[in-house]
Amino acid sequence: MVERQLTISRGTKRSIVKALLSVVLTLAVTSVVFLINNVNPILAFIYMFQGAFGDINLASETMIRMTPILIVSLGLAVSFKCKIWNIGAEGQLYIGAMLGTIAAIGIGGGPLSLLAALVVGAVGGLLWAAGPALMKVKLGINEVITTFLMNFVGIYLVQWMISYPFRSPDTYFPESSAIPSSSALAVILPGTRLHLGVALALALVPLVYFLLERTTFGYKVKVVGENPEAARYGGMEIGKVIFVSLVFSGLLAGLAGITEVMGIQFRVRGSLSPGYGYTGIVVALLGNNNPIGVALASLFLAAIMNGSSTLAWTMNIPMGIVDLMQGLLFIFVLASEPLVRFLERRGVLKL
Amino acid sequence: MAITPLSSPFFEKREVNSTPQNEEYAIFLKNISKTFPNGTVANQDVTLGILRGEVHAILGENGAGKTTLMRIISGILKPDKGEIFIDGKPVKIRDPRDASRLGIGMVHQHFTLIPEFTVRENIALVLATSPWLDLKKVDEKIAAVSKDMGLEIDPESKIESLPVGKRQLVEILRLLCQDVRILILDEPTSVLTPIEVDSFFKMIMNLKSSGKTVVLITHKMKEALQISDRITVLRGGRVIRTIPTSDANEALLASLVVEGMLPAPTLVRGTPGDIILKVESLKVKDDRGRIAVDGLNLTVRSGEIVGIAGVAGNGQKELVEAITGLRKVESGAVKLLSQDITNKPTRFIIEKGISYIPEDRMHRGVVLTMGVHENLALKCIEKPPMSKSKIIDRRSMVKNAESLISKFSIKASDPCTSVENLSGGNIQKLIVARELSNGGLVLIAEQPTAGLDIKASEAVHQKLVELRSMGVGILLVSSDLDEIMKLSDRICVIFGGKIVGEFMPENLDVERLSRLMLGAD
Ligand SMILES: Nc1ncnc2c1ncn2[C@@H]1O[C@H](COP(=O)(O)OP(=O)(O)OP(=O)(O)O)[C@@H](O)[C@H]1O
Ligand SMILES: [Mg+2]
Repeated sequence: MVERQLTISRGTKRSIVKALLSVVLTLAVTSVVFLINNVNPILAFIYMFQGAFGDINLASETMIRMTPILIVSLGLAVSFKCKIWNIGAEGQLYIGAMLGTIAAIGIGGGPLSLLAALVVGAVGGLLWAAGPALMKVKLGINEVITTFLMNFVGIYLVQWMISYPFRSPDTYFPESSAIPSSSALAVILPGTRLHLGVALALALVPLVYFLLERTTFGYKVKVVGENPEAARYGGMEIGKVIFVSLVFSGLLAGLAGITEVMGIQFRVRGSLSPGYGYTGIVVALLGNNNPIGVALASLFLAAIMNGSSTLAWTMNIPMGIVDLMQGLLFIFVLASEPLVRFLERRGVLKL
Repeated sequence: MAITPLSSPFFEKREVNSTPQNEEYAIFLKNISKTFPNGTVANQDVTLGILRGEVHAILGENGAGKTTLMRIISGILKPDKGEIFIDGKPVKIRDPRDASRLGIGMVHQHFTLIPEFTVRENIALVLATSPWLDLKKVDEKIAAVSKDMGLEIDPESKIESLPVGKRQLVEILRLLCQDVRILILDEPTSVLTPIEVDSFFKMIMNLKSSGKTVVLITHKMKEALQISDRITVLRGGRVIRTIPTSDANEALLASLVVEGMLPAPTLVRGTPGDIILKVESLKVKDDRGRIAVDGLNLTVRSGEIVGIAGVAGNGQKELVEAITGLRKVESGAVKLLSQDITNKPTRFIIEKGISYIPEDRMHRGVVLTMGVHENLALKCIEKPPMSKSKIIDRRSMVKNAESLISKFSIKASDPCTSVENLSGGNIQKLIVARELSNGGLVLIAEQPTAGLDIKASEAVHQKLVELRSMGVGILLVSSDLDEIMKLSDRICVIFGGKIVGEFMPENLDVERLSRLMLGAD
């Protein structure tokens, strides 16, 4: 019995190989780009690694970077498992951050304000996802389009809010007022910016794992995602499962946004997220919607992001390298299934 | 039904030296072995020759390795060991395209046609050799092949609108359009009615007389005896024996296929009690919005098996879906005991005690990528012991799976293996096990033994009878007339969405029944 649980299933092994293959191919193509630019790729990756994990400060910055990505992608993993493609995490993240910040400022300082901010932020993300979820379930409108378009509505709405009604009176830029410092997420490693939000994100990993693997909801998510006809036949309320999994991913996106505010940025700016909502998509796919895989994948992407800034000033490589690598990763993750199948057929791989 | 041997005397006399290089063998398999990554040995040292121009039947119990062997020949799977010779020459078949180049094509155990596409589109899909879609050429090809084979299929008709018998012909037509010389057919007849089987076999004979080689997997001894020239029996992944059909008979084959076949006990008739399921002037539409069930009336009593006989496509599917809440009822009523369950959600109907073995086992009955234990819990996941306050109890799921696996002799490497690793017949056993074990009032069984070997079919029949004696009312929808006649306490004939005739088994007139099924009378 114990033995059975310890052995890795064939499907899991396969998805690990797929993920590794995508990473290796991404690094390979990036190397070519480095070579074309007369940069030694090995050196570049070493600098990148050092930039991400070189000392305690850099490592904690990478963990901080990982936090919003991880929270977003854990939510996306649930909706993707249900084959519901939430492309709108970015907008949900901004709305969550904005509403949560308003709550924090409104209540004033203290732990209650923090708690309220987190709850309101998460609920904000949930509500922003609820529109597309309702349209999907009630009207059958494709969620890819609605969630994606709601990004623009959400992001511009937040831009407007921080430009006019909630603009901070004491700065020249469009940004919200700062949250009371007593309601910020506490620093857990003195001397760094590592905050409680990191712990929150890591704690979510086993929680989402439990949700997917040990609850009837997780079971239904899998059945609906894998075979909706069997779900119908088994008497499941498909609409409800789809609705909940979509708003759940919105909930975590909102939580990611407000965590970023309460832990690092302390106010809402237009630059709050450099596309964490989109990065989350790559991460969820790379991690094969498995919370543990997602955790590793988000650490990897955070390392690329932070490592490239070191690369930028040591080797004069533009920061655009992050987008390049993220894009390549996305392409190779999507291509990995046919690729692995091809390799299996040629007898190169045996799974 | 009389057995008419169609095999030509030519083959009975034909003596061949059995070396792989002999060109008379369209296919020669030498020492083929295949073990799956999970340790299941599916084929072991299989040596088998298929003569050019013969119809070769492959028999064997569920999980014997028939499908695996055929998938090796058609390039979907790779053998671990062994050689394949085509026309006496050694070949490597790496993928289905290689097989297709060698003139080998396979019709799979489960349909692979795209239901929303027309016949022409489905065929164009596999013929596509250039980036331009030349439908005219496809049409010409279809017309030429159809004419050769005497097939009458409208290339414009959508697959989903065709009865299964026709779909099977389209599968073959699709192969022939690819200029296939060797056709491998994996259980093509398992859901066909006897009439459809007849026209299907006529087609096979046409193929044979035009020089094609046919390998046919079946579980029905009668069919093998009727159509084939030679028969090979597989068991446990090994070849037990290859014999000319003229030397075989049903008893011999049965004894080769399964060890220790129990003689079937004589089945007693049920003692029907009160009406438990009542369908009143039911009207239901099909997928295309046409009336498929047209004012149908039907009752099932407790402790009674009611057989629905009919050619597929006469409203059986829609009737069953309406009862189980999977399809909207336009008018009329479905009553379970005294309760009206018309248009109630499926979940409600399941909870009230209607179990359902669906015909479409791959798409409806199971989730292929999930474990056997998870699939067996599909309908009771919300209830203890499978879950308590929404938390799943994995141990109970595994325990439940272990007990059903042994009770229904499902061949699975372990209770948590994905269902896609099971053989077709074992997937069917899994569904039957789940639906028979959840203690309902009514069981709707659509083709409950399709794809099962004789031993497993017999076991399912006995389980159905057992349920009946416990007071369950059973609605049996089957294309297998023998099955209906064997089990039913009452036989209803469905045609054009109505019950057009009712027989008690003691005064059954098979002639008249067949005529009613076709809408004559
Ligand atoms: N992909 C797979 N992975 C692991 N085991 C498999 C796989 N496919 C088949 N098997 C196993 O190999 C054995 C042979 O399977 P196969 O499908 O060839 O049987 P079959 O003779 O066609 O049976 P049936 O009459 O039920 O269709 C079975 O025990 C099955 O569980
Ligand atoms: Mg098979």
